[in-house]
Amino acid sequence: MKTFEEKWTAWLDGQLSGKELTEFEASLPDLAAAEAEKRDALRLGAFLKEQLAAPALNNEEFFSHQLHERIARDTQDRPRSTSTWWTIPRLVWSGATALALFVITTVVLMSQHPAGEQSEYLTQILNSRVDPAANPNATIYIFESKNDNKVTVLWTEGLQTLPADYAAK
Amino acid sequence: MQTETTPAQADVSELDLVRRCQAGETEAFDQLVTRYRTRVFAMIYNMVHNEQDAWDLAQESFVKAWKSIGRFRGKSSFYTWIYRIVMNVTIDWLRKRQVKAGGAEFDDAIQLKEIDPASKTVPKADPLPHQRMEQHEIRARIDQAISQLSPEHRAVILMKEIEEMQYHEIAESLGCSIGTVMSRLFYARKKLQNSLRDVYENV
Repeated sequence: MKTFEEKWTAWLDGQLSGKELTEFEASLPDLAAAEAEKRDALRLGAFLKEQLAAPALNNEEFFSHQLHERIARDTQDRPRSTSTWWTIPRLVWSGATALALFVITTVVLMSQHPAGEQSEYLTQILNSRVDPAANPNATIYIFESKNDNKVTVLWTEGLQTLPADYAAK
Repeated sequence: MQTETTPAQADVSELDLVRRCQAGETEAFDQLVTRYRTRVFAMIYNMVHNEQDAWDLAQESFVKAWKSIGRFRGKSSFYTWIYRIVMNVTIDWLRKRQVKAGGAEFDDAIQLKEIDPASKTVPKADPLPHQRMEQHEIRARIDQAISQLSPEHRAVILMKEIEEMQYHEIAESLGCSIGTVMSRLFYARKKLQNSLRDVYENV
């Protein structure tokens, strides 16, 4: 739905036709006055067109030269275009690749690393059993020494045999 | 020395020039500048009424056009596209200058409330001058009248009456609807008729 201003402008510029033109002119309370107004507006337009000749652009070549200089200077001053290598997808892929490499390296190293000596020794102790038939009076104590800090003592009695490397450990 | 080309010549290779600009050829941009610098300067001059300011704003407009030429998709003519930049630069400049000057309100902002759209324009009561005005005096009157319009109203009246642009071209250049263009034209004409009738009736 056009406003009155829009219809008036279209009518003045000769943009209304047919039914729209008829209806608009019929809606005007004083068509003769409106026609006079239209002529006046057209006269204004012609007057502006005639009078508003802007001063010629003097030194046209200098204008282009100055513009060229500005563009060249601006291009030089502008920081070199930053690399677009570190895009989000590439960052994601880089992160995933690094993580995968880390996991693979860790797994390989852990599988190749020999079991620690202490771990092997403790395992041997835990797996040891005292045969009650062979060692009927065997007694084994394990306690922490009160005199020597951080020393765990394994006290055995009545054993007929003892793994040779127990003491060595 | 390059010369201004006719519109027909411009149509033929304008898109090609734009493509070359987008590929970074400054020589192609020089050709586009040569085609439009006079019209752009004239348009801005009629908006700001000062040659040096018009020169600077035209330069700024073309620099912005060069920077953003990569975003030109050819949906409108290059002429409309460059005018949009020109209008943005000029209107922004006028607005900033208005703020610096203390924020005086443009007449048309008041006029929207005062003019009855259906009213008949009444000639000014001021007596007509008895002597024929000198050309510069007429120009001064026109500039004065136009300076009373808001930047947006100035733009539409100049693009319509001087550049003879179509409504849709003006709308594209200003980034508004055709209805807004027509409405602004209505008020801008009313205002100028009131301000300048004694001048144009006696020239």
